[in-house]
Amino acid sequence: MTRTLLWLIGGVLLGGVIHIIAILTLPLLAEETTWSRVSAFEAENRMLVLDRVAQGVPNPLRLDPELSYGLCEIDLSNGPAYLNGVLPDAFWSVAVYDRNGVVIYSTTNRDGIGQTVDMGIFNPAQTRLLAQQQIDIAEGLLIVESATNELFVLVRLSPPHEAMRARFEQELSEITCGPRT
Amino acid sequence: MRFILRLLAAIATALTVGFGLSYYALTDGRLFGAISLGPWTAWPDVGSPTPNPYTRGHLTREAALQLGRSEGLQFVAGADSDGAMLDLGCSYQLTGRVPVSTFWTLSAIDAAWVNLAAPGTEAALRSSEIVRETDGAFQIHVGTLLRPGNWLELAGEGEFQLVLTLYDTTALSTFAASNVNMPSITLEQCS
Repeated sequence: MTRTLLWLIGGVLLGGVIHIIAILTLPLLAEETTWSRVSAFEAENRMLVLDRVAQGVPNPLRLDPELSYGLCEIDLSNGPAYLNGVLPDAFWSVAVYDRNGVVIYSTTNRDGIGQTVDMGIFNPAQTRLLAQQQIDIAEGLLIVESATNELFVLVRLSPPHEAMRARFEQELSEITCGPRT
Repeated sequence: MRFILRLLAAIATALTVGFGLSYYALTDGRLFGAISLGPWTAWPDVGSPTPNPYTRGHLTREAALQLGRSEGLQFVAGADSDGAMLDLGCSYQLTGRVPVSTFWTLSAIDAAWVNLAAPGTEAALRSSEIVRETDGAFQIHVGTLLRPGNWLELAGEGEFQLVLTLYDTTALSTFAASNVNMPSITLEQCS
């Protein structure tokens, strides 16, 4: 009896090991990831306004029907990426995601940046050049450092009323995104 | 013979515990990365730049565009305050207040995250659209049955979930951990 119990305890311990391995390897094994879903939009270096969520339509990215979303994919191996433009006077926020769908940086317009988005995204090497003043940037640029090159930026904009949505989405699509030309 | 039986039992235990626990941790996840407040569940670490391994697994499984830490927090409820699953055949009432936030939205979804609002109505309720009591508390009716006051009109049948998204909120941030008041969900009647 004791021996059977020991075997079972051994089984539970092995189960713990399997559990830890499963949790740690899952992000590496997944085939359909945030990145694959986002890449399907082909929004490289441009601000793409996503379709609004409607009743009865699948919503794999779990967007909020009340908000407008602008998506832009960037690759820092082509140089630092900049996000620039003016957004309407309503709640908006910016999030930078890495390939795993982890939010590496996020801010809202309530952090005192008003209506203007002016953001530069740099990888570690570019940040070093920035510190050595080898890259020229405008004063007041919001600097975001990223450990990886492949990223995407999501701007969430909240039109307070339905009637404003078209105008807000127009302004959202005019945001520039990508390397400086 | 006895050795092989014990070995098989141990392997069976290991597989059940290992994969069962992993599945639980990434779906319900209440003892791992998720926090539950009454009927509402949230993954507070989901918008952090360095999520813990469980939240990272959850992020991968959902493959959705999660809210960043400073943008807000999303709560999901699949059951009412008494623990019964939410069903489109019944009507529910949300009562109370939400944690401090710039605004919030409420919508109903099915297991595949398809929006269940009735066709022709708004897909979600927004905090600026609802009528409140004089003390700031609110009552929202949710369901397919006609209701007065604030009503999130739904269509369809089967089980559903409610999603409450707080934007720019202090809820569960390290500074205001105590200030988490979520609305209760009570069953009104079933058709």
